[in-house]
Amino acid sequence: MSHVSAVVRPPLVTGGKSYHDITEDVCRQVEGKPTASWKIVFGISSVVLFLGTCSVFWTWWDGLGNWGLNKTVGWAWDITNFVWWVGIGHAGTLISAILLLFRQKWRTSVNRAAEAMTIFAVICAASFILMHAGRAWLAYWCIPFPNTFGSLWVNFNSPLIWDVFAISTYFSVSCLFWYCGLIPDLATIRDRAKSKVSKFIYGLLSMGWNGNTKTWFRYEYVSLILAGISTPLVLSVHTIVSFDFATSVIPGWHTTIFPPYFVAGAIFSGFAMVNNLLLIVRWTFKLQDYITIEHIETMNKIITVTGSIVGIAYITEFFIAAYSGVEYEQYAFINRAFGPYWWAYWAMMTCNVVTPQLFWIQSIRRSIMWTFALSVVVNIGMWFERFVIIVTSLHRDYIPSSWAMFSPTIIDIGDYVFTFGLFFFLFLLFAKYLPVINMAEVKAVMKSSSERFPYKVKPGKSTGEKVTE
Amino acid sequence: MDTNKRFLVGVYDDDDEVLAAVKSVRASGIKVHDVYTPFPVHGLDKAIGHPRTRIPVAAFMFGALGLTCMFLLTLYTMALDWPMNIGGKDFYALPDFIPVMFEFTVLFTAFGMVFTFFISNGLWWGVKPVIFDLRATDDKFVVAIDTGANRKTEAEIEKALRDTGATEVNIKEVVEEAA
Amino acid sequence: MAEHNHHFDPAEMEEWYDFTSSSKRKLIIGMLAGLAILLIGAFMVSKGIGIGIEHAHEHAGHGHEGHEHGLPGWAKRVVANLWMNAEFFTGISVIGMFFVCIQYLSWAGWSSILKRVPEAFPAFLPISGGILIILYFAFGQELFHWRHEGVMDPESEHYDAIIAGKSWYLNNAFFIVRTVLYIGLWYGLWVVLRNLSKQEDAVGGTEWWYKMKNLARVFILVFAVTSSTSAWDWAMSIDTHWFSTMFGWYHFASWHVTGLAVTTLAVISLKEKGYLRWVNENHLHDLGKFMFAFSIFWTYVWFAQFLLIYYANMPEETIYFRERFSGYGGIYKAPFFINLLLGFLFPFLWFMTRDAKRNQTFLKVGASVIIIGHYFDFYQMMMPGLVGANAGFGLIEWGTTLFFASAFIYVISAQLTKASIVAKNHPMLEEAVHHDI
Repeated sequence: MSHVSAVVRPPLVTGGKSYHDITEDVCRQVEGKPTASWKIVFGISSVVLFLGTCSVFWTWWDGLGNWGLNKTVGWAWDITNFVWWVGIGHAGTLISAILLLFRQKWRTSVNRAAEAMTIFAVICAASFILMHAGRAWLAYWCIPFPNTFGSLWVNFNSPLIWDVFAISTYFSVSCLFWYCGLIPDLATIRDRAKSKVSKFIYGLLSMGWNGNTKTWFRYEYVSLILAGISTPLVLSVHTIVSFDFATSVIPGWHTTIFPPYFVAGAIFSGFAMVNNLLLIVRWTFKLQDYITIEHIETMNKIITVTGSIVGIAYITEFFIAAYSGVEYEQYAFINRAFGPYWWAYWAMMTCNVVTPQLFWIQSIRRSIMWTFALSVVVNIGMWFERFVIIVTSLHRDYIPSSWAMFSPTIIDIGDYVFTFGLFFFLFLLFAKYLPVINMAEVKAVMKSSSERFPYKVKPGKSTGEKVTE
Repeated sequence: MDTNKRFLVGVYDDDDEVLAAVKSVRASGIKVHDVYTPFPVHGLDKAIGHPRTRIPVAAFMFGALGLTCMFLLTLYTMALDWPMNIGGKDFYALPDFIPVMFEFTVLFTAFGMVFTFFISNGLWWGVKPVIFDLRATDDKFVVAIDTGANRKTEAEIEKALRDTGATEVNIKEVVEEAA
Repeated sequence: MAEHNHHFDPAEMEEWYDFTSSSKRKLIIGMLAGLAILLIGAFMVSKGIGIGIEHAHEHAGHGHEGHEHGLPGWAKRVVANLWMNAEFFTGISVIGMFFVCIQYLSWAGWSSILKRVPEAFPAFLPISGGILIILYFAFGQELFHWRHEGVMDPESEHYDAIIAGKSWYLNNAFFIVRTVLYIGLWYGLWVVLRNLSKQEDAVGGTEWWYKMKNLARVFILVFAVTSSTSAWDWAMSIDTHWFSTMFGWYHFASWHVTGLAVTTLAVISLKEKGYLRWVNENHLHDLGKFMFAFSIFWTYVWFAQFLLIYYANMPEETIYFRERFSGYGGIYKAPFFINLLLGFLFPFLWFMTRDAKRNQTFLKVGASVIIIGHYFDFYQMMMPGLVGANAGFGLIEWGTTLFFASAFIYVISAQLTKASIVAKNHPMLEEAVHHDI
């Protein structure tokens, strides 16, 4: 690989780190005892998970009647939360797949944690699919097999079945991608392990990896092809989620821009969540030299771009509703903005379109506090987006006598809380027992992108001596 | 019957160095058993003389298999075994089945390819790897040379390694189980 | 440790394109021949003699949405072809600007070696944009259903309530303002970028890179909106009743992949003439990957739009695809499927392997097929609404396309001579020279 790097590129690994420093810095928390702060946070999320589990248990025991649904609004928080979590679960595979194809070297420091987050977010999303099925133990009915009543199959014309295939494919391929990326790092930990238990567990998980040339060479090929097929996969997942709505004829749902606009929104919220988690991780694990302000700034740029794409999609929908001349479409959008749920609409608009524009200002883009706060705001906004699309479109039926409002019950809230408990429970386990940064990939970009190896090219005039190949 | 193999293990500190070293050691007529690195070193596969991988072909085949499987499944269930009129569309409403066909293509490609890779490279849960130097997964670049497979003496090989920048040259005996 | 030290000198990177008088002559002959073929074709069609695929006689009387206006069928077809080609080539030109801006915003290094080639494309904008504006003034009523006599007038027998409901957007003055604004903004921003780029050559230093990056931000913001709105204006409003929120992005995706294919062809043909000596198979590989990926992207937006309309099957939307499938005796079925085959299936299979993307001949074939495929995308986007049953594929189409292609190549070649083909002081140039994938 050519190590030539233009002078305008800032380093991605600072602090004069060497290859060995990377190993030390990343392995430290895997090998050490859990810290007090980790134990406290883990304890809290375990308690939240327990309370949420009680709520989910009650949902299943008592039935979906204890949600706030009614005849008009038959989908509300369940699907809102589902889409929200799936959306968040797009950033990881986007970072590891699309950014790999685009050769974005900064992705190496953030992809591991982002992929882990993706997997946990998809698990949280899947839990809402199971919950809203009512009888979760019959979920296997989604699998195409001839049942005992004759050969009645699942309906492949239904977007909900597409969803089953899309989410399960996405989940399993993301896990596979993540695991493949972990193998070399697991071998590093295995080779450093002192205790028998660690040696055994990390030895088992690393599958006998020893870093020989042929394996590395094929490994790179496999990663590239995985990235190549994961890229359309990421797009397909939220596309198919959007089909759940857009294939219908409900005004406000049936709009052709939904697929790419959902994907953009998913990346938007996913990056915001990655930002939040990474800011905490880099601070608690002291990884400021690997997850630098440059990384954060780049992610904020992506948030601005995707937020703006989402904004353009909102405006397009509004425009086309007006342009179409279809009365129902026009009403759906007027009702969103000025109907009884106006506050949800304007919360969405503010959080998704207006506030991310603050990232055009460089000092805000590079400020940790602003980044953290605005990332939280983005995810609030994206929750409201799904709420607006789902509840606001449903609550005004064609017959005014069916018009209704939705109000969540304590169980609705409890089930949402459950996924937060689950998410942080899993993420904390990951952060403790697995390397949060992909050591091998960071080492591979050190020559071109770290402070230690300053093979920079001077602008304009030539400096042949500094160029190394 | 077990056989013992004796290896000279050159340890390098830098990826560019090891790449140049492998080229020059091989040019001097020494057969390199393998090189172990903490991350992929671009060009090392060519330097060591590995042929191009056929993994992409395997991936394509698995993808085609996945596509075919889902095509047949949708065809059989939706059009042949139990046709239903859904929204007035054809029984085999091809556009409706493209999403699932796509998902199956990706699923089969990913798992088929990765497991082909695991098997063809001897990676599996519980495999005990041959490790010449524990630091090869940390920050060292390790060149292993099978003394039995080379005509040159150990001293000559060691000199070749040292001359190309090896900071250490160690001896490692590997017990290979007879096939 | 360096394996070899490559001495890099920006001055050596400079290359000046020589637009030879023989090339000029050939291109002028191409333009004139295109015009001549167009006129002969128009004359023959008007006399009822067909060369190529002509449909007018079989389906005469099934005019566009029941209205018959002004010009005879053959003349409509000439106007429609001019409009379609002007729109198509406007897209290719502006994508040159888009490509360069994206390279700056994404800090791409590899493309700095060839960025001067797409950077020359927008030079054609005043011509294609000018043709659009002239055509609108001269034949607006022929082109757009919403310009037809009386459709917005409640008293008229041609009154159309749905179209009248769009008069706040689709009206003469606003349309002209928008069209002028699109062309003006795109071209104006390009002129600024081009000047900065030339100054970078002359002066050197990184400040130009930052300046161009800032300008790229402005352009991308402008283009984010105008790429959709121009598609609504120039293409979607032809089928005035119909609407699709995806249309702007779908139209953009088609422009984009065509622009990438034209870039690839231009780079390869310059290389064949001995220019761009630092461009090697690694850079071509990246262009190939772009064409591959964005062909799939186009297919994605195409399919998403199609599936949703097919699935919901609402009359006001489905009519669009009905017209293309079976309308006017099914004459649009062929272009519709040629578009899919050449826009998706062919590039998908053709560019799948690594070797294909690194081979100049493969790239040339693939890029040409993509351009033809997307030509038919625009054909099937516009012709049903513009000429309806009077469509065909014969001398008129060949002639118009030949004229536009020759003019485009002429203007781009002339523009290429105005600066070194390699941006010698681009701060990322050395990265590009060492590009190896």
